[in-house]
Amino acid sequence: MIHLIAAAIKNDIAGVRETSPELWRQIRRYNLPVQLALAAADEAAKAAEDPAKAALFSLAPCQSGSPELHQWTQAAAASGPNGHIGNLRVNPTHTLHAVDNLGLSAFAIMQGNHEYCLGLGGAAGQAWCGLEAVGERLLAGCETEALLMAGDQEGEAGRNGLGIALLFSREPKPYGRTGRFVKVESVERIRLGEMISVQPHAAAGLQAFVAGIHHGGSGRVAYEVAAELGNGMDKITIILEIT
Amino acid sequence: MSGNSQRVVITGTGAVSALGGTTDELWEGLLAARCGVRCLPRFVTAGLSVTTGGEVDAAPHHQTDRDEVMASLAIEGALSSAALKAEAVGFIWATGLDTFQIGVKGLEYRSAGSCFNALAQKFRGPQRMIATACASGTQAIGEAFRLVKSGRAEAIVAGGSSAMLTPFYLIGFAGLQAIAVDEAGGDPTAACRPFDRQRRGFALGDGAGAVMVETLASAQLRGATPLAEIVGFGMSQDAFDLNRPSDDGVGAELCMRRTLQDAGLVPDDVQAVNAHGTGTFAGDLAEAAALRRIFGEAGVPVSSVKGAIGHAMAAAGALEAIVALKTCATGIVPPTVNLNEPGEGCELDHVIGKPRQVDARAVLSVSFGMGGQNAAIILRRMLD
Repeated sequence: MIHLIAAAIKNDIAGVRETSPELWRQIRRYNLPVQLALAAADEAAKAAEDPAKAALFSLAPCQSGSPELHQWTQAAAASGPNGHIGNLRVNPTHTLHAVDNLGLSAFAIMQGNHEYCLGLGGAAGQAWCGLEAVGERLLAGCETEALLMAGDQEGEAGRNGLGIALLFSREPKPYGRTGRFVKVESVERIRLGEMISVQPHAAAGLQAFVAGIHHGGSGRVAYEVAAELGNGMDKITIILEIT
Repeated sequence: MSGNSQRVVITGTGAVSALGGTTDELWEGLLAARCGVRCLPRFVTAGLSVTTGGEVDAAPHHQTDRDEVMASLAIEGALSSAALKAEAVGFIWATGLDTFQIGVKGLEYRSAGSCFNALAQKFRGPQRMIATACASGTQAIGEAFRLVKSGRAEAIVAGGSSAMLTPFYLIGFAGLQAIAVDEAGGDPTAACRPFDRQRRGFALGDGAGAVMVETLASAQLRGATPLAEIVGFGMSQDAFDLNRPSDDGVGAELCMRRTLQDAGLVPDDVQAVNAHGTGTFAGDLAEAAALRRIFGEAGVPVSSVKGAIGHAMAAAGALEAIVALKTCATGIVPPTVNLNEPGEGCELDHVIGKPRQVDARAVLSVSFGMGGQNAAIILRRMLD
């Protein structure tokens, strides 16, 4: 069993720019999902004993994380199937924006973290795999803390987005300032009879999960992941003990 | 040691690469020092500065779903050679990055996540999509090893696939100075030269590699033949730079030492290394420095497949694990294609020109991702 000890949610990058100039300096070159994920991770990591020693888990955006990628490919497509596109230029940083491990890499550099990491890809429902993997890693006794971070955007324009980070500990510790203890016992899955449609988003499911904890009661809680925030294949339930 | 429960073996493989659509074609091509990297006329027409790549003929470039086609071929190869059904096993896979493919109907956005879920549907058990850049394929196998060893799954198909031979990635990686830009009059098959004095970057390659990771007990119960045992897995992060490793390769060294520790082995226990060996100036230097510190100046035989098939990104580590497995099984280390004279700082016990016979009881296979994620596994020959 692992304990949720901090959560941070960011959806306003302008606020980060104004209130945290040093953080903004470090993250400004990235695209919005990565900026928001890093801002959330930076805040959650403040509750860690040593963020440089935590296991790091990140979720790649489900929506393509690069508006520049869309713009460039539209230009390439406009030239036709045999078009001459050698004159087009792609900013190397924009290539990095398409790389799914960008948030993970940037956060490791910010924290000087050389420890175990796991980047999970942008498939619907990977957030719950991340939660499972955090539990496995901490229960194996390799690290005492683990950080799970995610960022995503609404559509390809990249104007609105959401970043989230959750910090977990192997040791019993209260969740943020609530004074409550949130123990994650297991992630349970039941295979559905047929595939259902989902709304792929790396961060939305974890945001709903945190809201569920805030609004939920105490004792043993079975948090059911909303169908559209799952993987389309399984009914997913997270078993918690909140005291 | 990672836990103390199940012994974990590989009981099936599937490989799709520029050398062919099967594990045998990959292996035989490497032993013959054949190069699958070639000039791709559509990139010449498009006027790109990079026109070479390791293309997979089994999935033509105008086939916009070739990401799924290549992955399915490799997965089916692993399932059939292991004689297991998808419904009976888990699935840990790296599908690389989102791409835009231009087919007969025009531009088509291909989401790596959607590709993963389409592949994952038929599997039961743990399903994870790995995204640690060039380290993804190796980490997928390592994570499967960890889950199977701890008893959380009995068998898992693990590996990765990549369909990145598109103009966006060619131009983008050229901008990063990571890829071998064309040279006037240059031989396209010599574009990627791992560890060589004349190396100038990697060649992108498409491909897919899959292995069946299973408990030894399960394999024995089924009467399946274990091809090799997985005995160690390790990860590290450089935390240094988004584009390149530090010159001394300390992140890579940390990863390899963790893997040795996980396996309960010391460097002298390893008889061959399947290197990351991309052919980039900085990457090869860092890797060579790390290998020398671990294995000493005498070292162990080192080989890279990327001169032959290009850098298949998310698939690379899985394809290389299959090559490492073949080395374990046969005692043969294939040569590094296009390596003629090691560059300054890249001096290792390279296998050059022709295959070398070694008593390969344990083989280390390593992958170092752009961004600084490093992954390694150790395979051991089946002794009992």
